[in-house]
Amino acid sequence: MKKRLISALLVSAMCLSLTACGGSGGSSDGGSSDGGGSSSGALRVAIWDNNQQPGIQEICDLFTEETGIDVQVEVKEWDSYWTLLEAGASGGDMPDVFWMHANNSQIYMNNDMLLKLDDYIDKSDKIDMDKYLPQVTALYTYDGSYYAIPKDYDTIALWYNKTMFDDAGLEYPNENWTWDDLYDTALKLTDKDAKKYGYALNVTNDQDSYWNIIYSKGGYVLSDDHKSSGYDDPKTLEAMDFVGKLLSDVCPPASVMAETQTDVLFQSGTVAMITQGSWMVPAFKQNEYTAENCDVAMIPYDKETGVRASICNGLGWAAAASTKRADDCWKLIEWLGSEEMQIKQAELGVTMSAYEGTSDAWASNTDLFNLAAHLDMAEESKVDGVENKVVEYPFTYNAVKWTSQCQKDLVAAWDDPSLMEEKCKEFAGTMNDIIASESK
Amino acid sequence: MTNSKSEAKAPAKQKMTTWEKNQLFWGWLFIIPTMLGLIILNLYPIVDTIYQSMCKTGDFGKGNIFVGFENFSRMFGDSEVWQALLNTIKYAIIEVPFSICFALVLAVLLNRKMVGRSAYRAIFFLPMIVAPAAVAMVWRWLYNSQFGLLNNLFGLKVEWISNPKIAWISIAIIGVWSILGYNIVLFISGLQEIPHDYYEAADIDGASGVQAFFNITIPLLSPTIFFVLITRVIGALQVFDLIYMVMDQSNKALPKVESLVYLFYRESFDFGDKGYGSTIVVLLLIVILIVTVFQMIGQKKWVHYE
Repeated sequence: MKKRLISALLVSAMCLSLTACGGSGGSSDGGSSDGGGSSSGALRVAIWDNNQQPGIQEICDLFTEETGIDVQVEVKEWDSYWTLLEAGASGGDMPDVFWMHANNSQIYMNNDMLLKLDDYIDKSDKIDMDKYLPQVTALYTYDGSYYAIPKDYDTIALWYNKTMFDDAGLEYPNENWTWDDLYDTALKLTDKDAKKYGYALNVTNDQDSYWNIIYSKGGYVLSDDHKSSGYDDPKTLEAMDFVGKLLSDVCPPASVMAETQTDVLFQSGTVAMITQGSWMVPAFKQNEYTAENCDVAMIPYDKETGVRASICNGLGWAAAASTKRADDCWKLIEWLGSEEMQIKQAELGVTMSAYEGTSDAWASNTDLFNLAAHLDMAEESKVDGVENKVVEYPFTYNAVKWTSQCQKDLVAAWDDPSLMEEKCKEFAGTMNDIIASESK
Repeated sequence: MTNSKSEAKAPAKQKMTTWEKNQLFWGWLFIIPTMLGLIILNLYPIVDTIYQSMCKTGDFGKGNIFVGFENFSRMFGDSEVWQALLNTIKYAIIEVPFSICFALVLAVLLNRKMVGRSAYRAIFFLPMIVAPAAVAMVWRWLYNSQFGLLNNLFGLKVEWISNPKIAWISIAIIGVWSILGYNIVLFISGLQEIPHDYYEAADIDGASGVQAFFNITIPLLSPTIFFVLITRVIGALQVFDLIYMVMDQSNKALPKVESLVYLFYRESFDFGDKGYGSTIVVLLLIVILIVTVFQMIGQKKWVHYE
């Protein structure tokens, strides 16, 4: 009898310890913050860009110094970032504070996954929503409420390899270039036998490649009411025809660009020019080759329309609606969005900050490149008949769905540009169907 | 608790002895942790997936609407799914036989007494302990048509992973390479079960090494081979990580390589359509069940249990 009692005790002790383990594991996953006190574990922050990690970490460290709240910054790759965030949102275990993107913001705001910031903003003396770039604020406003504080904005510019231009005896790109100038020069720089190419178009990133050409040539991707596709618009098709011309004449074969990313091709001196977003500056700054050999100019404009277009997107700092430490999350977001830290972010060269009047700080983060090319683009102006047009990132309720579908459907056209028109028209139908079937 | 339940179930039975009660109690106690794990982590998800395959799923798992077989009828009309099924089967047809044959030969060689045996065993097992994502990244660079080691070393101009005609073979080669070590370990353990007397007897009768291999080793190893075959076929039909890591979305060969699980992942997580994604894995489940049933029937013809 005694023996049995002991064994029963042992077993129940084991069971208890098992459940206890499970319990503590669960709470540390779930934000480790049941107490709500500032000292109970770190706030989990998720971002997707490795290049920005050191700068963000520095700013978060300053936050910890100031408030005593620990912050743990996790970097995930773009694709897995969204998979994890979605899984976290479904399962109620999101990071506390994270980046939002225009592609996804609507669906997250619509489903109450993000912490509503209105009350916090009203009470705060650091945050004034009028101080941020309105295009970015608009992306994270839903039904008149704010769900994220703008972090940055980005513009697209033309990066070029000075050495390759020098070797060919050609003049560097400048702000007076049209798309035809780009094509002509790229043609001169292309030597397919020597595996040197004038230009590379990153087909998997619509934002920094062909979308700009579409808007510059008077076409559109998505109608102004965010309801219908512009891929079958005659102007868009014209622009895509030009994209096809670039792909077949001056770009590496589509298979090469699919195997090796265009920024890697650029960083290895295989291609002379690429259009890239301002978020790549830290990467190009760190890479010895690009730091020494490359520079940046404004993105070309179209001769006929006189429009120089750049898609402008901006990320926002958002918090999970399900977080148990809403106040701490807000403190961090407020910190990240404050004028001081927005300037810090620009000075560190992390990205261009969304706060007004921070551009000088960013422009001076490095003297390796002519960063004015990125900054000037953000100013909508008309000089000498050339109009700078900042295009708000096209979004719908669930933009990921049609942008992913587009990447899949246009693969045949990247490979064989003669199919461009057919594939674009086909995709326009598919895209309209997708938008129509979006839940909201 | 447990006792009263079992008594309720079998009232006709005679009253159990204390020993029997003890057996029942401890028996259940020991299997309950495993059973709970299976139910929570395997059975429940399976049932839920089958249910979701009949739903139009809402965003973030909210608001699923039951639609019956709508997803299935959509799938039957989706040529991409059938292409993916074909791709998956093609992959399995390369991966399974080659990984088993190579592993078998290597296992026999590594089972002999020779210098550096442990070193060789370690080398062949190494791919197993490397993360699949790392394996895929390394091979991606080896295969790169511009800068890849393969093309540069041999002066070739082959688009290993971009040519739709050969990309699926290139992927399968990675699959064979990375699973080889696991199969070898299983075969070696099987080989060590075979009594040495048989080989000595065969040697006295004048059988060559090759004859011994086919007439002694293979029949006596057949239970192990069967086990490896079953698990590898299932594993191969579930291929995903290699394709996901090696092939870019803009790769033109992707439609000829993407597997069912790849499609499932894209539909569920890229496009956010969990319902249709579930439908695709239910198809995969059915395919695996059918293949496995046939293998279980077929084994009677060639597997020798001692």
